Amino acid sequence: MVVRRKSILRKMSKSKFFIIGSLLVGIIVLLAIFAPLIVRFDAEATDLRARLIKPEFFSKGLNGHILGTDSLGRDIFTRLLIGSRISLIIAVVGVVFPSIIGTILGMVSGYFGKIVDSVIMRFNDIQLSIPVMVFAITVMAIFGNSIRNLLIVLVVVGWVNYTRVMRESVMGIRDAEFIKASRVLGGSHLHIIFTQILPNIIPPLIILMSQQVGTVILTEANLSFLGLGVPLPKPSWGSMIADGREYIASAPWTVIAPGFALMITVLAFNFVGDGVRDVLDPKNID
Amino acid sequence: MATARFLLKRLLASLLVLFGVSIIAFSLIRIAPGNPAMLMLPENATEEQIKNTEAKMGLDKPVVEQYLSYMGNVLQGDLGVSIFYNETCSNLIFKRLPATAQLTLIAVCISLIISIPLGIIAGIKRGTGVDFGAVLFALIGQSMSQVWFGLLLILLFGVTLGWLPTQGYGGFKNILMPAITLGLPLSAIVVRMLRSDMYDVMQEDYIVSTYAKGIGQWEIYLKYALKNALLPVITVTGMQIGQLLAGAIIVEQIFGWPGLGTLTVQAINMRDFPLIQSILLITAAIFVTVNTLVDILYTVIDPRMKLN
Repeated sequence: MVVRRKSILRKMSKSKFFIIGSLLVGIIVLLAIFAPLIVRFDAEATDLRARLIKPEFFSKGLNGHILGTDSLGRDIFTRLLIGSRISLIIAVVGVVFPSIIGTILGMVSGYFGKIVDSVIMRFNDIQLSIPVMVFAITVMAIFGNSIRNLLIVLVVVGWVNYTRVMRESVMGIRDAEFIKASRVLGGSHLHIIFTQILPNIIPPLIILMSQQVGTVILTEANLSFLGLGVPLPKPSWGSMIADGREYIASAPWTVIAPGFALMITVLAFNFVGDGVRDVLDPKNID
Repeated sequence: MATARFLLKRLLASLLVLFGVSIIAFSLIRIAPGNPAMLMLPENATEEQIKNTEAKMGLDKPVVEQYLSYMGNVLQGDLGVSIFYNETCSNLIFKRLPATAQLTLIAVCISLIISIPLGIIAGIKRGTGVDFGAVLFALIGQSMSQVWFGLLLILLFGVTLGWLPTQGYGGFKNILMPAITLGLPLSAIVVRMLRSDMYDVMQEDYIVSTYAKGIGQWEIYLKYALKNALLPVITVTGMQIGQLLAGAIIVEQIFGWPGLGTLTVQAINMRDFPLIQSILLITAAIFVTVNTLVDILYTVIDPRMKLN
């Protein structure tokens, strides 16, 4: 076990994408945590005298409008940082909850097979056949946009991915000798699923979770762009882009700043996801 | 015989899925907080107006009866009438579908033209600069929000350079930016897949033996390896076409493209529930149909798949 852990660490340190991604994620998370200490403006208060001020960068230190202001005179740098907190919280919840539900369903489906499997997989097919965005905006429009509803949507559209992957992983080891042995020795299904099977399908689960973070952040941004995500006036990168869209010709920074933040964040998580896959995927063990 | 049974099974499964979607589309609107009739009316609507709308929508009848009569109509091709447009939903949807189909088609073409050669070269020349570039392209393509990428294109080619129109429906110049934006995620996926598939196929014994026979390198790549490496690409492209046809919402919104996506957003904004319900059903039907076709195509191309 020790040897294996060492080799994982060594592999991680070799993957350039993983290192860059982890560093970026670290910086983003730190910025989000300490955002209230860094910013000098209110993220939600409007100031019409300060509309669409050009980025002053660091010419006035932290007290200037580093990335300019938006059409309502709100400081964009402040909204970016405060918005990152919302994005990250939504990303964490939007990955963790669907992964728990999806993993349990996937394990049950793969382990028991037959009718249980058929029922779960048909629900899976139904959910997959409804395009994510169409489903999401319908639900948000009907139930109203709040962060709670947004999270519910992310869970409902997210579990399918985990169920599929986990089911296949379980099917791969279901008939292994050690599972049969456990069964012969009188292990209950529940015992086998959670103590024999689960530890063996953790790597694909972690790979999938790390790859889903970016997708979840993008879905939230898309919904907020359409005005159906994080409710205003709370800052969200998606709604900031939507705000700036009208002024793209005269005040492009209103779009570029949140778009860039969004891209870097998703890219950072995808780098990590790729690195995790390279390290954990048994196909890549040489 | 096996093929016929496979097709029949596939068809039944699709029908089951569509049945499920119809229940979801139907119940979503009915489990909404408040009354769907009230949601559609202005806030100061009178009791009588609410009663009338309820009766018009059949909301005063039991739910099962409502569903059965709804499905009865759907099976006869009657999806109901849009409240806002006062036109049949099927008319509205099929009027918008060509614009979305056109956009999807061009998006898929552009994206495959870029990604197939890139993926092949990256797979063959593993570890080189081209390979690194392809991986980076794929990662960035995956990480780019379509909103942000689309607006960047508008900023560069529309506003700054003034080469392309930024909004609206029209000829080739109009479709270029939305199609590139829509196709970007597909390009990223295809590059990644082809890259690893090409690499795997090149290690197979039968490829190694073609080398031994003295067949030229590029002939091996294109004639023998690509054939197998392309199979997963077909599946993914098929799945993506289904998603794109239904999911061009963001891109259509950014570029003012008058397709199904724009119609969806309008229906949502107007709280046009019959129309939303129909869009859910039709988009799912499109998705399922495209996927079934891809599955069938797959068995035709790859005989190994037939028995599964």
